[in-house]
Amino acid sequence: MGDPAPGGGAGSDERTTAGRGAAVAGEPLLAVVDVSVAFGGVQALAGVSLAVAAGEAVGLVGPNGAGKTTLFECISGRLRPDNGRVRFAGSDLAGVPAHRRSRLGIARTFQRVEVFPELTPVEHVLVAARARQGGAMLWRDLVRRGTPRPDEVEQARAIVGMVGLAEAADVPVAALGLGHTRLVELARALASSPRLLLADEPSSGLDTTETSVIATLLRRIQRERGVAVLLVEHDLALVRRAVDRVVVLDSGHVIADGSFGQVVADPAVRRAYLGRSA
Amino acid sequence: MNSLLNYAIPGVPYGCEFALMAVGLVLTYRATGVFNLAFGAQAFLSAFVYDLVQRSDGMPQWVALVVSVGLLAPALGLVLDRLLYRRIPQASTTAKVVVSIGVLIAIPELVPMVFSATTRTRLGHLWLPSGRVYVHLAQTPVTGAVISTVVISVGVVAVLAAMLRWSGFGLRMRAVVESRRMAQLEGIASTRVAATAWVLSSVLAGLAGVLLLPQMGSLDPTQPLEFTALLVAGMTAAAAAGLTSLPGAFVAGVAIGVLETVVQQELPSGSVVAQGLIPALPFVLLVGALLVNPRLRTLGRDTDPLASVDPPPPQPAVTTRDARLALPMRWGFRLLVVAFLVSSLTWVSDTWVFPFGQGLAFSVIFLSITLVTGMGGQLSLCQATFAGIGAFTTGQLAAHFGLPVLLGALAGAALAAAVGAGVALVVARVSGLLLTLVTLAFALFADSVLFQFSWSGGGLAGVTVPRPQLGPVSFAGDRAFLLLAFVVLVACAGIVVAVQRGATGRMLAALRGSPAGAAAVGIDPARARVTIFALSGAMAGVGGALYGSIQGPVSPADFQYVVSLAFVLVVVTTGSRTVEGAVQAGMAYAVIAQALTYVPTRFSGIELILFAAGALTYAAHPEGIVEYQRSVWLERANGLLRAHDRYRQERGGKVGRSRHGDGGYGGRHGAVPGAPAAAEVVGRG
Repeated sequence: MGDPAPGGGAGSDERTTAGRGAAVAGEPLLAVVDVSVAFGGVQALAGVSLAVAAGEAVGLVGPNGAGKTTLFECISGRLRPDNGRVRFAGSDLAGVPAHRRSRLGIARTFQRVEVFPELTPVEHVLVAARARQGGAMLWRDLVRRGTPRPDEVEQARAIVGMVGLAEAADVPVAALGLGHTRLVELARALASSPRLLLADEPSSGLDTTETSVIATLLRRIQRERGVAVLLVEHDLALVRRAVDRVVVLDSGHVIADGSFGQVVADPAVRRAYLGRSA
Repeated sequence: MNSLLNYAIPGVPYGCEFALMAVGLVLTYRATGVFNLAFGAQAFLSAFVYDLVQRSDGMPQWVALVVSVGLLAPALGLVLDRLLYRRIPQASTTAKVVVSIGVLIAIPELVPMVFSATTRTRLGHLWLPSGRVYVHLAQTPVTGAVISTVVISVGVVAVLAAMLRWSGFGLRMRAVVESRRMAQLEGIASTRVAATAWVLSSVLAGLAGVLLLPQMGSLDPTQPLEFTALLVAGMTAAAAAGLTSLPGAFVAGVAIGVLETVVQQELPSGSVVAQGLIPALPFVLLVGALLVNPRLRTLGRDTDPLASVDPPPPQPAVTTRDARLALPMRWGFRLLVVAFLVSSLTWVSDTWVFPFGQGLAFSVIFLSITLVTGMGGQLSLCQATFAGIGAFTTGQLAAHFGLPVLLGALAGAALAAAVGAGVALVVARVSGLLLTLVTLAFALFADSVLFQFSWSGGGLAGVTVPRPQLGPVSFAGDRAFLLLAFVVLVACAGIVVAVQRGATGRMLAALRGSPAGAAAVGIDPARARVTIFALSGAMAGVGGALYGSIQGPVSPADFQYVVSLAFVLVVVTTGSRTVEGAVQAGMAYAVIAQALTYVPTRFSGIELILFAAGALTYAAHPEGIVEYQRSVWLERANGLLRAHDRYRQERGGKVGRSRHGDGGYGGRHGAVPGAPAAAEVVGRG
């Protein structure tokens, strides 16, 4: 169970193999190998291993406190694991700070939305696209008197349009509701042309209609753009719609890995969710 | 061993002062989130009153103590809580620090106005006579001052720590520290906890001030800096204790006091390094502590679980403006600028042309605050130091190498940029409160060490910066200089606007909005900070060179840390987010100072008190009080226009142009081509 193996199904699915820049042959895009994290006496992750192939959509579920968000933090670089390795596209991410991981192609959204209230959705995309490029930003600002290139703006508008925010494209995000801000986070994540999208409970706080929009969007992102998706989510209906494979965490251990149907039928999973007597 | 003790023992009372400060700082920071930079000023006030009462005929020591520490100090604490900090519980740490700077600046300015401004010597003492030797420890005489200070401080802190550990108040305070709002939901009167913390902290400040008296040669009400300079040692101790542990803060304070005296005795006396070391040591220790202890880097970060429900800062007034106001306002502004220039160059008297020139120079310096604080979201308390680097470099290069002033100013700007980048680089991973403290400590370090050499700031003698000469054109006259300063200001303002509108501005807005989100899209916060500090340093350097050039002789006193604090107050009062804010601040700062030359010198402190009062509103209106008023007026004008539209519609008349043709928010974002009108949503009131 613990071995990092690319999931079945997705890898062979032609629609999902559009990922750019293939990883090292034989290695998945993301490989979490034997990662452990302890907070004081609490073992949040105990030797967790999982893999996500290029273009694959994987769900990460588990009861509260299972270690899902901790694992996300380890992958995105906000937390350093005590043990184990995180490999992305064939290279070890140890010591790579969060902002560099983003430039390597790992984008993420947050459970508690982390948007930039003063900026509009288009500006969110512009800032993310420019941050990925790096380079002498200040000098360019002075020469161009702060104006972004028309093609940059056009691309930004296209991405904002894709997530369905065209009408609110030039409104400061502070004026938008939660459903829209979650879409802004997705647009911003797409702006950096990621190869892996980490989505942390994107339906949290949304109603069913908004959740459905998110589910459709995640599938589109995976299929049209070839972005691999790792989705942490409590809403199992959303998980079923958005992913090909599900990994179940409980108390810091991977207890199941398989298709949605396999996983929900797994007695260990039922025990984890419903207690020992179930 | 004995000789080490000889050095260490005189350091203990100083250490106890630092320790009391550190404990007081930790107390209010924990309970209210305010890092109280005014602590030194509070200590000064109590010490001043203690000495005053004790001098009155027949007043016993205990009466003076009761009046200054027992009544005045708690009353001051309550006033600060009731009038200021209670009103801003949800404000950011930065806003709270700015408010405390307002208090820090206002108290010493008020004291000479209320009491007499004569310097007093042979100051009073508390408890044991300070000079008498009571006992010898390792052959070192231990005086009454040492014994009183140590016994009283240790006793007070022990009682306080016990109270916080075991009493109900302590428990409530710890709950409030976690989350003021959560505690309120649990039925804890968090305002009462905060008020108690302010009273206790203020008493500690008073006590520290009174205990310090015998160690000071004289008390000059116009120069209370010694008290505030001690604060850096206190805040280093507080930071070393992670701003959490009271006993930790106490021990760290004593350790710093002892370390200072030991190091001072070991160094050859007389050199600038030795003299400057005492004020500089805390800076070195603070930076060292930051580098060694990574846990300290996250200090002052907002961890309140309910923080996410706070509304974002309001948009600049211009973004909610009705399209039809844009044109008249733009032309009104241009007309004003032309009128100013023409008047200054023709009929205005020389008495006023000079302060106008100063105002333009200040405006350039203040634009550096717009960059680092308004855009970068970091409160820097060493902008005057950067300005000083610009001025001194220009003066020294002109004096020693005959370099033209304008080239010297560029060199000064480059050097100030390098120093700014250096400061940001040393503490690359630090932001928020600790970065602010490091900049303050750096300013003190520059005051006491960096600017004291003959090759840098020239010490007391200072440096003379000549007026520029461009080919055959001389800018020696005040009017010609004003024109030059104006051109420089326009260029600098253009740079600020370009950065603000551009990718850098968006990146900084992203970092202000959400550091985690910014990192997730690949923004390197350390690099962004270094960039903005370098640019800000350069701008302050240019402004400093201009200021030096208009003044002629300048000395380190012109660029002291208090000047930096005053700069920050002035800019946040008018508005730290906009170019107009900086220019208004610069002109007001110079013009009000000139106007005050017509009132008795006793009231010359009014200007800073005015701005301090303005800064107190910073937490409520982080966009600046002038900017806030502007948006109020604009909203009224918008309302009038809307009423006019309705009236015309009712009469069946055709409403002329689209109401929001300018694109509301697009005002600032005119840079984003094709932005549709969005003022309907933005102008939500």
